[in-house]
Amino acid sequence: MLLKQDTKTAQSALANYCRTGILNDIPGVEDHRVHHYRRLVFNIIDDSLASAYPLTRNLLSVAEWDELVNEFFSSHPCQSPQVWTMPKEFYEYLIEVNHPLLTKYPFLQELLWMEWLEIEIYMMEDQKVNYQGSDISGIGKLVINPEHRLITLNYPVHLKQASQILPDDRGNYYLIMHREPVSGKVHFTDLSPFFTRMIEHLNSQTYRVDELIEMTARDFGMNVEKMVYENSLRFIENALNSKLILGFTN
Amino acid sequence: MVGIGFRRDFAGEFLESGKLTPDFIEVAPENWIGIGGYWMKEFRKALEKYPLFTHGLSLSIGSPDELDFGFLGKIKSFLDETGAQIYSEHLSFAKCDNAHLYDLLPIPFTEDAVRHVSQRIKTVQEFLERRLTIEIVSYYTPVAAEMKEIDFVNAILEEADCDLLLDVNNVYVNSFNHHYDARKFISQLPMNRVKYIHMAGHQQVSEDLIIDTHGQPIIDPVYELFEFTMKRLGRDVPVLLERDFNIPELEELQQEINMLREIKTRSLVKEHAYVA
Ligand SMILES: [Fe+2]
Repeated sequence: MLLKQDTKTAQSALANYCRTGILNDIPGVEDHRVHHYRRLVFNIIDDSLASAYPLTRNLLSVAEWDELVNEFFSSHPCQSPQVWTMPKEFYEYLIEVNHPLLTKYPFLQELLWMEWLEIEIYMMEDQKVNYQGSDISGIGKLVINPEHRLITLNYPVHLKQASQILPDDRGNYYLIMHREPVSGKVHFTDLSPFFTRMIEHLNSQTYRVDELIEMTARDFGMNVEKMVYENSLRFIENALNSKLILGFTN
Repeated sequence: MVGIGFRRDFAGEFLESGKLTPDFIEVAPENWIGIGGYWMKEFRKALEKYPLFTHGLSLSIGSPDELDFGFLGKIKSFLDETGAQIYSEHLSFAKCDNAHLYDLLPIPFTEDAVRHVSQRIKTVQEFLERRLTIEIVSYYTPVAAEMKEIDFVNAILEEADCDLLLDVNNVYVNSFNHHYDARKFISQLPMNRVKYIHMAGHQQVSEDLIIDTHGQPIIDPVYELFEFTMKRLGRDVPVLLERDFNIPELEELQQEINMLREIKTRSLVKEHAYVA
């Protein structure tokens, strides 16, 4: 190492001041100016987190949010060289330290997760998949959009405003988020257990429409009655329209 | 050539309207690595139309921490895949004690930092198999300085044998904040190493302090300093207009681009001597 300890110490003190707001003596630093560094650095962190987690920020009181951002930035060393992925570390930090806010708001962890996943899906690298838009053969197998995340939730963070969620809302919720290929927008779809199972099947391999419905019904110990079939067809049609299911393959 | 920083804030209108006619675009690789979807499509459209220059944010060349070779590998692929013409970075540090800060902190102007930074620039150049163009950053307070800024910069350029990104606005900001003569500073720089120029606006926040916000139009004294620089250079160098905040109508940015072109052309015309 070519750097002298004194130089390192000065750099470390400046970086630490930016992260914590606690200024230790740094040789040569102009006290009336150095605060701009803390302000500029902290604003970048605060702005990035606020734009990644608008719902969480809305839920928390101003004091809670400010304290949390301060705590995160001063105690967690941010690892990502890309500022747009830094907010993921914020979510992970709260879980890692089992933050008291996660107890105060039992649905907060899921809210943060959903907010982060929206960014992740919106930004993720394109995933190539071959398919045809329509089923010319009549025996085509369904191709699901790989740019999606299927998650199970205990609280309806995707259905209700966070401040309105009550302990009684606890249950099983299924949410699929996918990126529409043309606009790049992320769509949220609340799923029933039946359609969730269908998606899980399509994630493992491709199936024909009738195969898929039959197999899913079997999983639930159901017969494929007219209503089940029609509802399933409608779901698949909607999924084709929203590009959750992209099309067909032979 | 006069270019513009390609920003998501105006990407759509820029690509569709033809209101802005730069010769190249510049991006920070960190904002475009590992992404797909809508923004990748927009970026590809831009790449089809314009040559790319890059200006990194997180290399942290002045950091006491180890270089991040995983990250550098991604930078290398990005530069190759996009056909980037220049990889520029900041003469500052943005990571310390294993924590990224996502901003540019001033390196102490010391002899040991000169050696440390120069060694790292050489390592980066070897790893990337291309030259690094390093930018003098604006700073608001010196930190543990033992030498003058100009001596620090020149020593690194010499020892590392790298190129210089001369941000004329940064020199102006620093000369104001730290009370020195901007022209004299530029005159002491090795002009042969200048590969790239940045121009931008800034904000004066108090009687004696300017913050380098990139949020305002370029002011006249910075245009004058640019003209002085171009005359000293005496050759054409790509110039970038940086605008990161307070994005105005594209027509306004175009006016600034026009102004930069005009000054550049006029500065590079040789004055004719009349012989009787
Ligand atoms: Fe610059």
